[in-house]
Amino acid sequence: MRPILLSGHERSLNQIKFNKDGDLLFSVAKDKHVCAWWSANGERLGTYQGHQGAIWTVDVSPNTVLLATGSADNTVRLWNIKTGECVKVWDFPTAVKRVAFSPDGSKLLAVTEKRMGFLGTIVVMDIKYGDDQLGNLEDQADEPSLKITCEDSKATVAGWSFLAKYIIAGHEDGSVSQYDPKTGDQLENVQAHEFDHQINDIQFSPDRTYFLTASKDKSAKLISARNLAIMKTYPADTPLNSAAITPKKEYVILGGGQAAMDVTTTSARQGKFEARFYHKVFEDEIGRVRGHFGPLNTIDVHPAGTAYASGGEDGYVRIHHFDKPYFDFMYEVEREQLRK
Amino acid sequence: MSKLGNRADWADDEEFDDPSALPAQQVITNKDGTKTVISYRFNDDNKKVKVTRRIKTSVVREHVNPQVAERRSWPKFGLEKGHPPGPTFDTTSVGENIVFRPSINWKAQAKEAEKDGGEKGSMKDQLKDKKVKCRICSGEHFTARCPFKDTMAPVEEPTGGAEGATEEEKSGTLGQGSGGYVPPHMRKGGAAAGEKMGGRFEKDDLATLRVTNVSELAEEQEMRDLFERFGRVTRVFLARDRETQRAKGFAFISYADRSDAELACDKMDGFGYRHLILRVEFAKRT
Repeated sequence: MRPILLSGHERSLNQIKFNKDGDLLFSVAKDKHVCAWWSANGERLGTYQGHQGAIWTVDVSPNTVLLATGSADNTVRLWNIKTGECVKVWDFPTAVKRVAFSPDGSKLLAVTEKRMGFLGTIVVMDIKYGDDQLGNLEDQADEPSLKITCEDSKATVAGWSFLAKYIIAGHEDGSVSQYDPKTGDQLENVQAHEFDHQINDIQFSPDRTYFLTASKDKSAKLISARNLAIMKTYPADTPLNSAAITPKKEYVILGGGQAAMDVTTTSARQGKFEARFYHKVFEDEIGRVRGHFGPLNTIDVHPAGTAYASGGEDGYVRIHHFDKPYFDFMYEVEREQLRK
Repeated sequence: MSKLGNRADWADDEEFDDPSALPAQQVITNKDGTKTVISYRFNDDNKKVKVTRRIKTSVVREHVNPQVAERRSWPKFGLEKGHPPGPTFDTTSVGENIVFRPSINWKAQAKEAEKDGGEKGSMKDQLKDKKVKCRICSGEHFTARCPFKDTMAPVEEPTGGAEGATEEEKSGTLGQGSGGYVPPHMRKGGAAAGEKMGGRFEKDDLATLRVTNVSELAEEQEMRDLFERFGRVTRVFLARDRETQRAKGFAFISYADRSDAELACDKMDGFGYRHLILRVEFAKRT
């Protein structure tokens, strides 16, 4: 497979996201603009201008009308994807580290940083999609409908479970917790990863019944959204920044690498800047994809499972469209199952 | 017969028509639904080339999500505003091919691949199994450190030195076997008399003047102007001091034509230039 290299950013990537149809890819980096790309050929559709600081996170609404971004300039911005206009700005006391639309797109959660005397919070905003012609998108609620304050350990990442029944958050201390999105109560908290090893990414399965966490403790874990039971563990030899579940084939993709500050002293090979593919069920590593010159900060998989993209500390996004061997690979037991 | 006739036609076409004109493109529809397109063009060597293409048109129907199709027509915005459709080279490029084959025993394969790659990569690994061998006594030390260095000549190495030895046989007469250095002119193939350096200037020497008693302040361009009056000057060399960059007092002027040089020699000898009287003569071969 020949990767498509996207070099629209001047600094390291923070998050990339495919839309639900997989035709668009959004990327945010430490430079101040958001890029939208056509995933098929790597053509840039446009950029969303307006943020004043590094952008940490991006999410796209399920109907590909609105784009939410969270930035170090303490704002969450909502963009009209088609025109590139900013339709709403929410101000927060601290930087925003993660935004996520609920499965139906009616709510948006944002994780704010713990800093300057403010505790880390998870806030939920109600999102409206204007009138029938998708006009009047500026009409959004000013105040969040819910605010969850994380008192023990700040949340670093968060997402919505199936049917928006729970909010799942990963914490700085390596624990994962489950919140009720109606009342904001913490329902459960599990020390999923080693203590004091931050959870860097959380991504859900297509039906959102389970999710995958990537942690600094050099492992990724597959956890059930219902009761936070740890189902699978994927050990790696390097701190992980991102982990994604692939639809269509039962794999997971992990990305990481040495922390950016230790990178200059090591070669690309030793730095372990590779995307690692594990079999989701058997937990075996089945291959790696090289290419980045720095740690992988973010990975996202095409919702149809035909491609994946990775964004690295080197400022590049690489879109890989899988070729035949990827789809053909099967374990012996899988093959037997198929014959029956 | 028909073949000959054809050929004549073809020649007619070549000779009597305008050679730069190309025959019109022909499109033939075949029975099986394909089309044959015959066109002519000139290639890089300006030769006429006939290009025959068979084209089969097939309609591929693709079902696209209407929303996705609608999005394809979106205009660009932000930094891309006004750019034509299609990827631009400054933001999008295609990386080198990556072979990705998932496999169960991936780790073992990767280790093997690394081993192969590693041996080629590092010089240290490459030389790991090499031993130091003396060329004189075949001992395990460098030749320069050999205790018999002054008393013995290097032994011939039948294996390692084979290539060098054959070359030596080809080109060496003297010192054969001893392996010593043979100057080029003493080699078998070399000219017996030897090639002199600057041999290719021999022809020029016939038309080269040596000018002496040139002022220290002289310039090459001035000299050229002075001597160009008599014919085409191919070379002006004004000797300069390496440190001070001042003229050393002599120069060489080469003419394209010997007769011009003769004339210049005649006229310029004794010419007063910059407070000194030039002396001009034909340059002598040293």
